[in-house]
Amino acid sequence: MLSHSRCLTRNFGRSLSAIRQGNNVLARRATAAVSASHAIIFNKNVKSDPRASVFQIQYFRTSVAYRDEVVTVKTPAFAESVTEGDVRWEKAVGDTVSEDEVVCEIETDKTSVQVPSPAAGVIEELLVPDGGKVEGGTPLFKLRKGAGAPKAAEAPKAEAPAAAAPPPPSAAPSPPPPPASDVGPIPTTMPPVPPVPAHAMESKPVSAIKPTPAPAAPVTPAEGVAKGARTESRVKMNRMRLRIAQRLKEAQNTCAMLTTFNEVDMSNITEMRKTYKDAFLKKHNIKLGFMSAFVKAAAYALADQPAVNAVIDDTTKEIVYRDYVDISVAVATPKGLVVPVIRNVEGMNFAGIEKAINLLGEKARKNELAVEDMDGGTFTISNGGVFGSMFGTPIINPPQSAILGMHGIFDRPVAVGGKVEIRPMMYVALTYDHRLIDGREAVTFLRKIKAVVEDPRVLLLDM
Amino acid sequence: MMSNVRRMVSLFKGVCRTRTCPVHTWTSGAGLVLQSRSTDVFQNLALEDWIEANVDLRQRGVLLLWRNRPAVVIGRHQNPWTECDLQAATKAGIHVARRRSGGGTVFHDLGNLNLTFFTSKKNYDRRRNLKMITDALRRVRPELDVQATDRLDIVLNGHLKISGTASRLRRDSSYHHCTLLHSADRSALSAVLRPSTSGIHSNATPSVPSPVANLVDHAPTLQWEELLEALVDQYNEEFGCTSALTSIDPSDEASFPGIGLFVSELSSWEWTFGKTPKFSVRTVLDLSEHRSAQLHLEVKNGLVASCQVLVPPDWIPQSLADQLSQVLVGERFCRHGAAAAAVSTLLRLDGTGGRLEELSKAVLRAMG
Repeated sequence: MLSHSRCLTRNFGRSLSAIRQGNNVLARRATAAVSASHAIIFNKNVKSDPRASVFQIQYFRTSVAYRDEVVTVKTPAFAESVTEGDVRWEKAVGDTVSEDEVVCEIETDKTSVQVPSPAAGVIEELLVPDGGKVEGGTPLFKLRKGAGAPKAAEAPKAEAPAAAAPPPPSAAPSPPPPPASDVGPIPTTMPPVPPVPAHAMESKPVSAIKPTPAPAAPVTPAEGVAKGARTESRVKMNRMRLRIAQRLKEAQNTCAMLTTFNEVDMSNITEMRKTYKDAFLKKHNIKLGFMSAFVKAAAYALADQPAVNAVIDDTTKEIVYRDYVDISVAVATPKGLVVPVIRNVEGMNFAGIEKAINLLGEKARKNELAVEDMDGGTFTISNGGVFGSMFGTPIINPPQSAILGMHGIFDRPVAVGGKVEIRPMMYVALTYDHRLIDGREAVTFLRKIKAVVEDPRVLLLDM
Repeated sequence: MMSNVRRMVSLFKGVCRTRTCPVHTWTSGAGLVLQSRSTDVFQNLALEDWIEANVDLRQRGVLLLWRNRPAVVIGRHQNPWTECDLQAATKAGIHVARRRSGGGTVFHDLGNLNLTFFTSKKNYDRRRNLKMITDALRRVRPELDVQATDRLDIVLNGHLKISGTASRLRRDSSYHHCTLLHSADRSALSAVLRPSTSGIHSNATPSVPSPVANLVDHAPTLQWEELLEALVDQYNEEFGCTSALTSIDPSDEASFPGIGLFVSELSSWEWTFGKTPKFSVRTVLDLSEHRSAQLHLEVKNGLVASCQVLVPPDWIPQSLADQLSQVLVGERFCRHGAAAAAVSTLLRLDGTGGRLEELSKAVLRAMG
């Protein structure tokens, strides 16, 4: 049957001319092929005289019928007297396939045999379940021939930006949003979120649990608007996002959240970095960044102001003081916020911290972060600077009591020794829980961080 | 480099189907014997793909000899989680790869020789290939009792397996590859070839374990080079050609244009893990104070399609356990990475320490 269909167009042309020349044999064969394949379509049109029916069948009408034809593809014969095999489907019902594209593979006795599609079309039905046994000749699947009609129909449907053809999913063109999945619109459409690179910690953004993926939803309607279409698309919030939103609001309601600011002159640390970066790379095999300075400064300041490292246990109404410092570093990934933890920072030096950050960054990049790497944490540092943020209020990452926000380094004119000089300056922000930490403690804490970053010798001298 | 390219072009002259290589009469007889200089499993598997795609096998066949640094290679339709302990493999720096041919799982290392016989579909004859190998072995060590079995293994002394076979048939080409245990490290094998986690129910192709042996255990003086030479000579004799062993480097993109794409596909997560046939995991999680929970996961394309965790009602509310289940749906079936991140976010929201944390960690441990 397959070979008939393939030869159909060729033979048809031949048979038409043959008919004209009065070659009965060929005509009858063609007729037989046609009537066998198109029995259903042609019942109404075919008259009793087979030869007459060939004249009735106009070429273009047959072609239309040919396109809607459903063929059943059978299991090919097996080599070397093997009798049966297991079917493994590559394509599913409704998939469009091109001619010779692999539809399934049959595994027989350690051999994997590919079964290609005999023609372009859409898979109509799979006749054997995945893993089911078949023998040579067993019907495998039904293919509706055609040049992928469903694809053509989808194209005009889109108000979705044609330019956005490659990128993902957004629910914009297709009506039902991904059912029951917690994945939602993948925020890869959000411009500033880069994939997590090796040195994630050094330059990674994000303030705690700010719903960073949220902007993805408005982006798609915006693109639609750009085209003049005034439609809106609704995407169901997934459970995780709902829970995060809820918890954030709870945190805001329970904590008395306040933010204090300061600015840090980055000249000394930039200079130190420039002087030592090659030697550091040579000795430790990793790059020297800014994060280690801030992490160490924070650990030092936390040891000095234990209230900032503590947390209120609302259920037992106790303040829990901790003598270890675990710093959570907020990292944005396309799939949401990831917060790996550097443990026992109080005992580490800059090199140790850079190594820990590097290791976590590598793991994050290779998708190997274990849940133990992201547990706990007594204090969070987030870096909005990579987005170019100048100034901002981070939000506390429950169940902690404070968070340090780093922002971008910009050259600014500042007063130094009575004169105006241009210095690379960074604004830093500390959001804290005022129930536990009072203003004086918060300001002192932040000033300590400033002191250490502006002059790391403070650490050595325990100032 | 340029000389390499010229050499490659001349080697494959008359063999390439691409428009850049002109078709000439093949000079070295009806076969070509190649040896890969690479010991990277992905590069070598990609080389097989490249040869199959780019070499015209209608006139002659190709024999490729290769070996890999320690790696676990599963068959096309197998389940990597049942075949291999992935945590142990990662820890030991052992790669896990899925090949394109069917069959069971093999452990590759530098003492395990791989032979791939590329032929046209017409000339596909696995028994003939195995006969060539057994003839070669008998030639160098006549005292060895080697036989090819019905299942296309080669056994020593009647029951010790020294070679396993797998093959792939496409529209107009085919290849048959097999292993040959010369001096593999059998202890490393057993540490890694066992399931990652219990409770997996799957209809993926299973592996049939058999007692194995190394050739050097029974013929201690047989050197690697001696073995290769014997195989090349026997191949030439069996298939009527006069090919010398030609060494090639599959990492050379200039000589093998497009091979990089094959390498990245074969080393991708989507191929190695995503191509696993649908399976389910049903297991009991042991919790503290002698309590336990039931876990039922369905995994499709390597991703968690559905998850159900049933907890004793007085231990934690079922709704909390359900939140944990929901968080895992859509993530890769892997205890690290996105699933871990999602779980840790949940724990941050709903309380660290305590029973939810214990339950979450137990569920993650059950995931690959």
